[in-house]
Amino acid sequence: MQKYDLIVIGGVAAGTKAAAKTRREKPDWKIAIITRDDDVSYAGCGLPYFIGDIIQNRGQLVVRTPETLRLVHSIDVFTRHSVLSIDREKHTVSVQNTNSNEKLEFGYRKLLLATGASAMRPPIPGIDSERIHTIRSVTDADAILAGMGSKSGRAVVVGGGFIGIEVAENLKHRGWEVTVIEMLPQILPPFDLEIALMMQKHLEKNGVRIVTGACVQSFCDKDGGVEVATSNGAFQADIVILSIGIKPNSGLGCDSGLELGCRGTIRVDACGRTSDPDIFAAGDCASTFSVTSGNEAWSPMGSTANKQARAAALTLTGTESEFPGVLGTMIVKAFGFSAARTGVNEREACESKMNAVSVTVPSDDRAHYYPGSEKIAIKLTADAETGELLGCQTYGMGAVDKPLDAIAVAITMGATVHDVAHVDFAYAPPFSTAINPVNLACYVMQNKLSGKLESIGPVEANCMIHSPDWDGLLLDPREIPEFMIGTVPGAVNIPIHEFPTRLAEVAAFKDKTVIVVCNYGKRAFEAYVRLKHHGFNRVKVLEGGTKFWPYELE
Amino acid sequence: MAVKEIDARGLQCPGPIVEVFKAINALKPGDEIRIQVTDRGFLEDVKTWCRKTGNVLVSLEDGQPIKAVIRKK
Repeated sequence: MQKYDLIVIGGVAAGTKAAAKTRREKPDWKIAIITRDDDVSYAGCGLPYFIGDIIQNRGQLVVRTPETLRLVHSIDVFTRHSVLSIDREKHTVSVQNTNSNEKLEFGYRKLLLATGASAMRPPIPGIDSERIHTIRSVTDADAILAGMGSKSGRAVVVGGGFIGIEVAENLKHRGWEVTVIEMLPQILPPFDLEIALMMQKHLEKNGVRIVTGACVQSFCDKDGGVEVATSNGAFQADIVILSIGIKPNSGLGCDSGLELGCRGTIRVDACGRTSDPDIFAAGDCASTFSVTSGNEAWSPMGSTANKQARAAALTLTGTESEFPGVLGTMIVKAFGFSAARTGVNEREACESKMNAVSVTVPSDDRAHYYPGSEKIAIKLTADAETGELLGCQTYGMGAVDKPLDAIAVAITMGATVHDVAHVDFAYAPPFSTAINPVNLACYVMQNKLSGKLESIGPVEANCMIHSPDWDGLLLDPREIPEFMIGTVPGAVNIPIHEFPTRLAEVAAFKDKTVIVVCNYGKRAFEAYVRLKHHGFNRVKVLEGGTKFWPYELE
Repeated sequence: MAVKEIDARGLQCPGPIVEVFKAINALKPGDEIRIQVTDRGFLEDVKTWCRKTGNVLVSLEDGQPIKAVIRKK
């Protein structure tokens, strides 16, 4: 029987990372990777772009081939080998070659489970149609490309999460007619509603049809395609991509009697140890922790997998190393519009009854006069008392990752908005603005926390002005042509320079709610200060202005 | 037909569209404005403004700067 110092089960992100790191720590160890897949070390996150022909060569997705791992890293790689069981007492795994059906047994000193996750395929009638695909492996992508052929047609994407949106964009790039069907009332559930609506608006502008709040009831092969019956009507498709979520592949761990964690993951500590000290787990099959709450969490992300696998490899080779967990940082882009998040959003803060305040602050991503400058919005969520940063969402056509990453660091360090307000960020016109977007967002949050600014987000404002009790005023203080171009329905225009002579026209609203709306919120704040000075008591600035208003303008 | 040239390069929103608005008010029907703008928000703004006011967007060229020709209705 072949004996290894380390056997890794699974060979995508966590598995190959753990094996490679172990090799660097222990040049003399015998290491094996066993996977049932054809490929190892591929960039699963790149698959939507492979379908969209943005990545043209299949080989570009593969980071390391089995040959490289063998020759460069001296790691034995068994592809198309399935692990049948683990004998924890004897420290052996029994394996089957899925080509020849030959059975093998290997001994291990340490075992690392990196078995990943699988796409969910709920038992919906007709789901076994060959036109319905999931997208997890390079083999899945091959099947989708084969199913699409060279012509274009109609695609239905079931699930409006991150992968669903990326797939929709890429199918559209290929000239396909695309409908996204989402069961929840909004796409991109990890975001606050207005951000999901902005992304939806942008996708629709680019020709993708989005149907939210629709439950798929059945699939039916019909006229050379599939009919997708939903609670919101039927849709015809030549191909269906299912991206409704994934579940951890914890079966092997569970069968071996390892303790399970949240959402069916294999439970591990911060070092990646399972309930058996000689067995580790990392990546999509394993649990982790939320850095903010300290609770167990599941973070099936390529980024998490690599960090968790590194900590596990260090620990199992003798250098105790912790991966403390995740903030839930995510980012997505479609047709030039990006959205990113970290920590908690406003909805989550509210659900967990945190005493939190949120504010949305638009900005240019670089000097407004520098070519390529675009608008972004930063939504901060902070503790109402201390100003400690709890979460951040950024969105828009510009560079959203930079401010988000800065805030992710700040949250990790336990910083407040007051700490971050003065951070010395890099500035020159091609890169940023003289008042950096993150500094600016923190200033506005400081104003809100201290009561110098009262503001309202678009979702709440929209609810308020459509409520039968609404007796307030929507005031647009911009210049006449801007007002004509588009304002929030129902707004009254009094340009700010006419305030001295015209505020009497709206004097009846001194004790009513007045929502002030401009392009981004800056002039609305100027107007806010003047209105307060003139005795208007309940003034609020519309956060994000007309440019980040997710509903119709008039 | 009179032609009014406007150089709105470097002006930030709402500068460019306010310049168009002021100029249009001083022109006669059929007269044209030729404007150069660097603020990218102008691309969408000028389209919507012309649609809403009935003035004719004769041409709109996206570049550095953006160039537009507008004819008063």
